[in-house]
Amino acid sequence: MDAFTLTLWLLRVAFVICIYFFFFLLLRALARDLRSTVNSAGRSLGRLIVVESPQGQPTLGASIPLDAITSLGRDVNNSITVDDGFVSAEHARLTFRGRAWYLEDRGSTNGTFVNGQPVQGVVPVGYGDELQLGQVRLRLERTQP
Amino acid sequence: MSTARLTAMGPMVALRDLLHRAGIRPRLRNREAGLLLLVAFSLLIGWLSLASYQAGRLTVGDPSILVIYVALLTGVHVAFVMTGRRTDQVLLPVTAMLGGLSLLLMARLPQGLAALSLPGLDLGLAPLQLLWISGAFILLALLAIVVRNDNWLREYKYTWAATGIGLLLLVFIFGPEVNGSRLSIAIGPVSGQPSELLKVILVVFLAAYLAENRTLLARISTRIGPISLPPLPYMLPMVAMLAIALAIVIVQRDLGAALLFFSVFLTMLYAATRRRAYVALGLLLFIGGALVLYQLFPHVRTRVDIWLDPYADPLGAGYQILRALYAFGRGGVLGTGLGAGLPQVGDVPAIPAIHTDFVFAGLAEELGMLGALAIVFLYGVIAERGLRIAVQAADDFRALLAVGLTLVVVIQAAIIIGGNLKLVPLTGITLPFISYGGSSLFANAIVIGLLLALSDRGVEPPPPPSSGSRFGFGRAGAG
Repeated sequence: MDAFTLTLWLLRVAFVICIYFFFFLLLRALARDLRSTVNSAGRSLGRLIVVESPQGQPTLGASIPLDAITSLGRDVNNSITVDDGFVSAEHARLTFRGRAWYLEDRGSTNGTFVNGQPVQGVVPVGYGDELQLGQVRLRLERTQP
Repeated sequence: MSTARLTAMGPMVALRDLLHRAGIRPRLRNREAGLLLLVAFSLLIGWLSLASYQAGRLTVGDPSILVIYVALLTGVHVAFVMTGRRTDQVLLPVTAMLGGLSLLLMARLPQGLAALSLPGLDLGLAPLQLLWISGAFILLALLAIVVRNDNWLREYKYTWAATGIGLLLLVFIFGPEVNGSRLSIAIGPVSGQPSELLKVILVVFLAAYLAENRTLLARISTRIGPISLPPLPYMLPMVAMLAIALAIVIVQRDLGAALLFFSVFLTMLYAATRRRAYVALGLLLFIGGALVLYQLFPHVRTRVDIWLDPYADPLGAGYQILRALYAFGRGGVLGTGLGAGLPQVGDVPAIPAIHTDFVFAGLAEELGMLGALAIVFLYGVIAERGLRIAVQAADDFRALLAVGLTLVVVIQAAIIIGGNLKLVPLTGITLPFISYGGSSLFANAIVIGLLLALSDRGVEPPPPPSSGSRFGFGRAGAG
């Protein structure tokens, strides 16, 4: 086997090795993404989808990730600021306790509603339920994926 | 040390400020850059190997095609960086690798397989393929950058369906007849295969229709005796659309496209509803349809008979697939090396249609089983990325669109690779991004471009779900 044939053979093998190295890097990228998804999955417990929002705050159609305690109201210090004339500064609070969500009205002027029913004290809410504050309607959903 | 760092950082900061003032907010895409660099390096090695074998000494030959291709990829990457898009960073390098393999193969095939002669310009197979690939990547980049909302897709689903059917009818009326089938349409010097574009349109229509009627299709049943069937009225537009597409495709004898459409239809239906009954029903329909077609159409019978026994007519009908099988055998594990495979008779390649339907066999001979497996793996990576984009999508339409677009590429690759290997009867469709041909490249570029646009985390939120879906079926609540 002369030097040229050997070089050619080495080039051939090098090409295949390159493709597989590329594939290895791809796999590593996929694995990293997968791991970061798994890690971030537990971080958010649920989310609120904005179904109706006449004033545009929060944005219509937005998906807002929730923490264990989420306060809602017109005041900017709330976790979710709801800009609507019928919403009080400190309107309601959504909390995750144990394995379920609870909604509590914080003495708002116009009340908080779950699926059209006014909230008295603390009520449990489930995924798919619709919350209404003033004219703003929000739907509680699981975090995807 | 701090002064050295300052002088090094100074120009960078100044450049950033300058760009910001011009309204450009670049966002680095390191992962994509690294992967593309490796693609360019691999292709250089491949080109070196090919040119050296052909010249009989160590040389890069005429690398202009390679240089243009790498410049093109760099351009697309820079465009993504400059526009600050937060799209998927893996899809472009994978597509680039497939396109590069295509160019390597086209550069070593007889250049007369395809030719475009314009006054003062004669383009052979490889330059032409480079031209199509360039167009495809520019289209891909444009879609990924420009598409910021999807209303133009979801709102006009019936318009899209009508466009698709219209395209096919156009071919049926105006297309020239080649080998008893009308596949392409020619307007002046430009010709194309509309069934490639139709597959994208079909996915858009199915995604929009299924997203709107998902709850209905998944929940209610029409009961006929002991069998619980899907709600028939809501299946009708979809089935009609599919039946028309299938009928035309069968009349045109483009069986590969028919198989592809049907597979994509079934998988999307399952993805939207998670009802195994649909899949079972679809498979039964498929088996029944296949039997009927086998009896009715001689060209279907020929295909199946060749698949069952290619040795019955080794120099006629079975010639192509037999040559392909020999090519796989000659390739072995490591392959013959680029440029070393495919002994030709004069200027005629060993396998007919090697640049379109049989690219996989050609590459498998020269890169061996390892190279062929790598190609299969690359399609696997596209599948993973696409389905991942679907899982993270903001709403049903986007999720279903991503699923459909991914499947259309991956299933097409599976059908033709299976055909080359004689696993399934051969149907003439292209291997995405590798086969020669503008229509196929453009259609698949649209697919990847839309997938990239869907993966962008900065796009507009989808429109709010119409308050309380039709007939009072809300979303499932697990309270």
